[in-house]
Formats: sequence, C-alpha cells, structure tokens
Amino acid sequence: MQKGVQIILLVVVAVVVASCTAGVDNPGLEYAPQMYHSTPYEPLSQVQDESMGTWLDSNPEDGHGEFYNSNPYNPYGMTMLEPVENTIKRGSLPNHIAKDDFETAAIELVNPLDSTKEVVAQGKALYERFCIHCHGSKGAGDGLVGQVFLGVTAYNSATVVDKPGGHIYHVITHGKGRMGSHASQLSEEERWKIVRYVQVLQKQ
Amino acid sequence: MSKASGFRPQILSFIILFVVSFATYSQEIPTDEAVISSGEALFKANCTQCHQVHKKVIGPALKGVTDRLETGYLLNWIRNSQKVIQGGDEYAVALYEEYNQVAMPSYPFSDDQILSLLAYVKAESANEPVQAAQPGAAAGGEVAAAGGDSIPSGYLTAILVVLVVVLLLILVVLVLIVSVLQRYLKEKKDLVEEDKEILDQKFDLLKLLKSDAVAGVVIFFFTAILLKTLIDGAFTIGVQQGYQPTQPIAFSHELHAGQYEIDCNYCHTGVRKAKSANIPSPNICMNCHSAIQNVGGEAGVSSEIAKIYAAVDYDPNTGQYGPDKKPIEWVRIHNLPDLAYFNHSQHVEVGGLECQTCHGPIEEMEVVYQYAPLTMGWCINCHRETEVNSKGNEYYSKLIELHEEHSKEPMVVEDIGGLECAKCHY
Repeated sequence: MQKGVQIILLVVVAVVVASCTAGVDNPGLEYAPQMYHSTPYEPLSQVQDESMGTWLDSNPEDGHGEFYNSNPYNPYGMTMLEPVENTIKRGSLPNHIAKDDFETAAIELVNPLDSTKEVVAQGKALYERFCIHCHGSKGAGDGLVGQVFLGVTAYNSATVVDKPGGHIYHVITHGKGRMGSHASQLSEEERWKIVRYVQVLQKQ
Repeated sequence: MSKASGFRPQILSFIILFVVSFATYSQEIPTDEAVISSGEALFKANCTQCHQVHKKVIGPALKGVTDRLETGYLLNWIRNSQKVIQGGDEYAVALYEEYNQVAMPSYPFSDDQILSLLAYVKAESANEPVQAAQPGAAAGGEVAAAGGDSIPSGYLTAILVVLVVVLLLILVVLVLIVSVLQRYLKEKKDLVEEDKEILDQKFDLLKLLKSDAVAGVVIFFFTAILLKTLIDGAFTIGVQQGYQPTQPIAFSHELHAGQYEIDCNYCHTGVRKAKSANIPSPNICMNCHSAIQNVGGEAGVSSEIAKIYAAVDYDPNTGQYGPDKKPIEWVRIHNLPDLAYFNHSQHVEVGGLECQTCHGPIEEMEVVYQYAPLTMGWCINCHRETEVNSKGNEYYSKLIELHEEHSKEPMVVEDIGGLECAKCHY
C-alpha cells in the first residue's frame, strides 16, 4: 500500500512539472519570479492587473502584487509616452520651414554631408531598409509595396528629376502627397545620407 | 421594331459626335508607330504611378481622354494643372474635388512629347484592357509552391497507417498457418515423443505476466519514463520557448516581412540604435495603411486595419486624425528576465547578426512565437562559438593583433570577455 501511494505521488509530481512548459497562450512557470519581473517601470512590458503576483509580494505596503508594472498617473497606465510636442531631440537642429513649403526647403536646406563613396554606400544601406519596399531598387516607384500602395513617383520622372537635396530631405521629414513622415524612424544625419543616394538614383 | 428605331438616332448622334471630334482635334495627334512607342516610354516613366488607361488609380482612367477634351486643354493641364484649376474651369474644379483634391504635379514637357503621350493613350484606348498580374497573388503562389517540396505530414501518417495494417494482416496469416499446421500434426499418429511435447505445449500468458522478469522490466520502463518526464519538465521551468500569445491585432509577419519584403528595421526602429528593437508606434503603420485599407486589394476597410485607425483616431473617409488616441496593447513574447541585460544594437549593428539567428524564420510566421530558448546556456554557447565581427571596426584591431600573438584560433566573443558574469548580470 505504501508503495502504491509513493508511485501515485511520483506520477502527480511528474504531471505538475510537465505542465510548467510554455504553450501557445501560456508563458509557463517562472523560476525565481521576483528576479524575472522589473520593479521600476519597464517601457516595453506593462502589467496592469494589480493582483498579479500577490502570492509572493515582497512589499505589501504598495497595495499591489509583485508583478504589477503600470504608471497610474498616465492614461491607460502607460509606462511609455510620446515625447512632449515640440521636444527637440539631443543633437538635433530643427528648421523652421513649414511642412508644405518645399520651395523654401529646396533653397535653404543644404546637405552637410558630401557625396563621398562612403556616404553614398551608407545612404544605400539605409535606402534598402527604409525606402526600397515602396520606391523600388532603382527608385522607379515599383517596389513590392509600391505596386499595391500606388502613386509612388519615380525619381527620374520629369517633375522630380531636378529637385535638389533640400527638397528630398523635406519630403523624408514631413512626407508629401501619399507619403508619410519618416522623421520618427530616421535621424537627421540618416536622412541626409539617404538624400545622397536618392540623388544617385535620380540620374539613372 | 420600335426598339431598333429608338436606338437609331442615338447611334447616329454618337457617330456624328465621333466624326466631328475626330475631325476637329485628332488631326493633331500623331498615329505614327515610332511616336506612339516613344509616348509609351514617357508614359511608363512619368504617369503610371497615378494613371492607367483602363482603370482609375489615383487619377482618372485615361481611356478616351483625347475624345473628351481638346488637345490644347490637355497641353495646359499636363504643364500646370493647378493653373487650370485656379483659372476656375468648371470641369477642372469638379475633377479636382472628385479626386480628393490631390494635385497633379506639373510636367515640363514639350508639345511633341505631350502629343506622343496622347498618341499612346489614344492607341491604348482602342485596345482591350490587359489583366494586370497581382504581385501579391504571384508571391503567394511561390510560397505555396515552395511548401510543396517537402512531404506533408498528412501523407506520412497515411503511409504509417497502411504499413501497420499490412503488418497486422501478415500476423493474422501467420497465426492461421500455425493453427492449420498444428491441427495437421495432431491428426498424425506416428510422431516422436519429443515432437509431441512441443506440440502439446500450452502458452500460458497469465503465468508469464506474473513472472518476476516481466514485472521487473515493466517497473524499470515505468520509472525511467517517469524520471525522464520529471527531468524534462524541470528543465522547462523559466523557459518560454514556443510561447505564441494571441495579439490584439492579427498582424502577420509572413505578409509584411515575407511576401512584401519590408525590412525589419523599417518598423523596429531601435534595433540598430538601442537596447530594445522597439514595437512600432502606429504612425509607422499609417505610413502605408493610410492608403492600403484592406488585404488582397479588396474594397472597404479590413477589421484588423480598422483597429489601427481606432488607435490613432483616424477617419479613412476624410483622412483626418482626431484627438482620441489609445494604445494598442501588444502582448510581449520575449520576456528576458529582469536579471539579465541584453542589447540589440550590440548584436545587430556591431556583431552583424541577422534577426533570424535568434528570432527564427520570422518572415514565415503568421503569428510570432518564441523561437530560441533564451536560456543562459544558449547565450553562452553562442558566445563561445561566434567569431568577433571585426570587419571595418577599428575598435577590435588591437585586440585581434594581441589575440593572434597567442593563439591560432579565431577570436571568439568569449576571448574578449563574452563570458564575464557582469557583462549581462549587474
């Protein structure tokens, strides 16, 4: 009889341990969960349920479970916010040209980077990550997304073939027509590098 | 009879109109083959982004435009459409309003160039519309074809089942043969004593099962399997490999990164610059989804894309954003423990690793799952085997020099402190 109980116990333990495995909708059991979960706000993981981790609460005075990670002072308890409007990024020098004033931009904005081999190569690498899917490898507006998106102007099209670097920079920054702003994805320096490569494509 | 007579004046007026229009304007539009082909080249380089002859795209379909409008009018329009609209021309203003006030850019073409363009449009108008191949459909076909190379698991199961059935049939036949032979032998009287013993032997299943040897084997296997499950289970504690949670929007990496080949970096903007690769903010979604409102070129707004519009309070009909934004609550899949530090830019920008090395075939995942175990052993193993990417990076040149003085093996991450505890745990 004793043996029978032992075997049953062993089976139960095995089943319980096997159920710790992560599944489709289940991250599985954590080892040392207090060391897994961040106490400070984590920008990319947010736990809004206050009861999460109450079973091993190390700080009962804060009124919520160990895993709770939300900022109650922000809307939706968000731990990450958009930058305040008109914030200037470190190392960035904004211009005061209106969003749709491409003529002024074309005259006033001058590329701080020379068209060296290195800059063009870096511009090409950036172009292939941020532009190619719409504008295509030769800038003909025939990228895989461009074919579905429609209305992507070819760089050697008569309307834009002569546009100077300042115009291209302003288009990347604020968007034009159907194209949206890419300022949140590309730093100013990266934009100027792309401008150099687009100018190479314009001539093709 | 009355029907036919009803048609006649209409046809007549149409023919007259056609002839008149032909006589008045078309004489200026050349029909020369060479001019048409040069017009075709010009059209494809400059116009196809917004215009097709037989289909409305961003601008109107151009079929029969040379019959609708005077050549002089078209010349002015192509050179500076805004001037025509500002001039207050009724047709131009109506057209501008109909196409959501999207201004056609000005094209500095010569008369001859515009005439060749019109010649091409006119020639093309007479042709039947060509069914344009959908890039999405073509790519989808390739994916399906690629999937056909390996044997589907359904076939494998079927083959196994057939094999089992065949083996069972053989077993039945053998048992039948044995019983027939036994009956035959029993009928024979002139058997030797030894043979008789063998023939009379009874197979006692119960006795065999109760024997110590069988019980021992069964207990051994039972314990072994149990222990194996226990150890395997214990090793999965804290490992979230295979975690594939349902996301608030059914975003498909297979469609975006696979079929449309959008670079990972386009959306995951932090991957070369920061610790985290970042989850894209909806303004990045909207760079494409302002225009692409449904999947597979269908009309209307897809229910999944509508969720992006709801998050940024965008009205797809007016193209305006409202003030009522709310976050999209994606479920985090890769939960690296807080006790370990990991930096994407160090691995992707400096180390030159592909995203797929750790995240697996992301471009084939309809729903993303955790591919790598993300255990410490997994990290360390890679640091022991991976050579330092020192190409074009002067930071490592002195280290490489020093390393080569003492060793003939290539410099791996371990050699520059890749196994130091405090590199990741502090």
